[in-house]
Amino acid sequence: MSTQKSAQSDDPIELLADSLNVWVGKLSDIVHKVIDTEPIRNVINWARMYSLWPVNITTACCSAEFGAASGARHDLERFGVLPIGSLRQSDLMVIEGTITKKMAKRLRTIYDQMAVPRYVIAMGDCAISGGLFHDSYSIVNGAHEFLPVDVFVPGCPPRPEALEHGIIMLQEKIRKSKVYPEG
Amino acid sequence: MTTTDKHAQTDLPSMSPTEPGAQTMTLSVGPQHSGSGHMRLIVELDGDIIINAMPDPGYVHRGIEKIIELRNIIRSIPVIERPSIIDASNLNHAWVRAIEELQGVEPPARGQYLRCLLNEMNRIMSHLYWLSIYGVFLGHTTMFMWPLGDRELFIDLAERLTGARITYSYLVPGGVRRDLPAGFAEEAVKRTEYFEKRLDEYENIFFKNPLFTSRAKGVGMLSSERAIALGSTGPTLRGSGIDRDLRKDEPYAAYGELDFKVRTRPDGDSYSRAMVHMDEMRESSQLIRQILEKLPAGPVRRKAPIVVPRGEAYGRVESARGECSFYMIGEGGDKPYRARYITGSYRNMAAIPEVLKGVRLADMPTSWWSIDYWPVEADR
Amino acid sequence: MSLSQEREESLVKTLKENFPTDIKDATILRRSRIDVTIAPDRMVEIAIFFRDKLGFDHPSGVSAVDYNREARFEIVYHLSSIRNVGQRDIVVNLKESVPRNTPRAISLVKIWPGVENYERESLEMFGIQFDGHPRPEKLFLNDNWDGPPPMRKEIRFPTD
Repeated sequence: MSTQKSAQSDDPIELLADSLNVWVGKLSDIVHKVIDTEPIRNVINWARMYSLWPVNITTACCSAEFGAASGARHDLERFGVLPIGSLRQSDLMVIEGTITKKMAKRLRTIYDQMAVPRYVIAMGDCAISGGLFHDSYSIVNGAHEFLPVDVFVPGCPPRPEALEHGIIMLQEKIRKSKVYPEG
Repeated sequence: MTTTDKHAQTDLPSMSPTEPGAQTMTLSVGPQHSGSGHMRLIVELDGDIIINAMPDPGYVHRGIEKIIELRNIIRSIPVIERPSIIDASNLNHAWVRAIEELQGVEPPARGQYLRCLLNEMNRIMSHLYWLSIYGVFLGHTTMFMWPLGDRELFIDLAERLTGARITYSYLVPGGVRRDLPAGFAEEAVKRTEYFEKRLDEYENIFFKNPLFTSRAKGVGMLSSERAIALGSTGPTLRGSGIDRDLRKDEPYAAYGELDFKVRTRPDGDSYSRAMVHMDEMRESSQLIRQILEKLPAGPVRRKAPIVVPRGEAYGRVESARGECSFYMIGEGGDKPYRARYITGSYRNMAAIPEVLKGVRLADMPTSWWSIDYWPVEADR
Repeated sequence: MSLSQEREESLVKTLKENFPTDIKDATILRRSRIDVTIAPDRMVEIAIFFRDKLGFDHPSGVSAVDYNREARFEIVYHLSSIRNVGQRDIVVNLKESVPRNTPRAISLVKIWPGVENYERESLEMFGIQFDGHPRPEKLFLNDNWDGPPPMRKEIRFPTD
């Protein structure tokens, strides 16, 4: 949205397009500001935090507790969390367990393919710092090395209740955040 | 459809029928797929039929064989339990069996029975997890929810016995860590009786269901000769009619004194393998009651040193997915010189291309998961 | 199960009768565990004998061990028997040694198809070449580790 007009450009179409860009840019700023005020922001955040759909990735052994958490007793769907097959339609990535170097590349690709807004929960000690396998030759010591992590849930593996607590913390974080964060 | 088919439409623009086998497509399934565990299958397709399916493992390879050369034998127990965390007790048992073979230590009888108790509970828990992920693969949400709910029955018992939900580290060289808590036996008997009624319901709703039988019968064939030559083990082998079960062929712990049958099915298709899992759950359930009835009195643990004496040992058990073994070489000291770890899923990896040959792409999840290939366990 | 070692002794006797000069060592470690050490150039004939005459049709696994102080790798084929019900508990460890600086052995994939994955793993973990292997490439270490074969004894890792 440049306000500079090129000295050489006398083309009326281009001048018109430039000024339209400025007008649309300013309009976009105004719309963002309106949405980020209290009532609308609360509604949008409410919609986002109660329908977090994670990607179906079961990185390593913590997936057993994620499965148990989605199961009948500790039903995660009451928090709105429903594992979905297609990753373009999901907004949460739960990294369950040890991340090998081979998998880290693919996890980054998956993260890049998810649409904004997207959140990451690092579940388990291995996803936080390498955990039990920290001195292995083939793992990455923690998800934060290549992904922006929102919530860390420690444990080896964390109980389903701990994972639920992690999801509640993420929901709190979303509730307090802006809809269009800077940058 | 061949070119000699008289209904072949050769007059559509930019469409011409091809001979079967003339043109194949390579499809990459995974590592992110709506199922369980990270493994990639490189599938070569001729139209809709799979010609070849090569597994591409290694997404969860954590280098456990190197790690256990660097830590002492007690600190390695959580590490070797992790490959198949839902079946941790059986893997743990293979480790202590190898060490006890080298040390010449025999645990007391009560310790052996308690080992069998946790092993059988783990076998049920592992098979229930298998069944629930089968629900995810087949798109059957009830098959996903119900087994996970019933699995919690046994997780509660295991937590009461050992203190942890799934990672027990309960078996140590010389015996087990803790004795049975008060009131455990009555509670376990009640739960297994309830569970056997639930298994009847599972059979009616999931397995006698024409939707499942039409998808699984005759699909994913594995003949018994190929199963043996490929080194298959566990339910994959028993689903082809071979009655191989280490609990009967090489009785260890207290299995020599317990009464149970080796469950096989003759057909070698996905349905057979799935039914072998169901039958085994029933056997394990009655085994739990038998163990609690026959449990002898006495100590649960004999003091064993934290040392791996000079020598070689091959300790193996029948885990939920098949034979899990440790080939351990000791040289004195508290760490093994070499501990080669081969798990049930790793042995069954060779059967995947065989089972998927000639299967339609839509039937791939049914066949693949009936082998119960757990990628984390195979990659170690 | 009898505690005597008759079956193991008769197996060792049959083996020594048929290959009088090729068996470097054949010991019964303990009940149901037999160790047989042979030279690599006789491996194929002896493996076929084990499979066809002695009934060891089920490959349980292949291990490789790095005896760096003796400058050799030892390749161990673990064999078990399924068709022959009377010896189902026996495990035969069929061993061959190859020199550490030129580790080459003959692949037994044509004899037991199931050893394919284990031989691939020995290639990537130790650097042992298997002649005649249909897919001599990495199995687990693609994208995971690019350096020298990690299971060799001289490869150490930071926190040990």
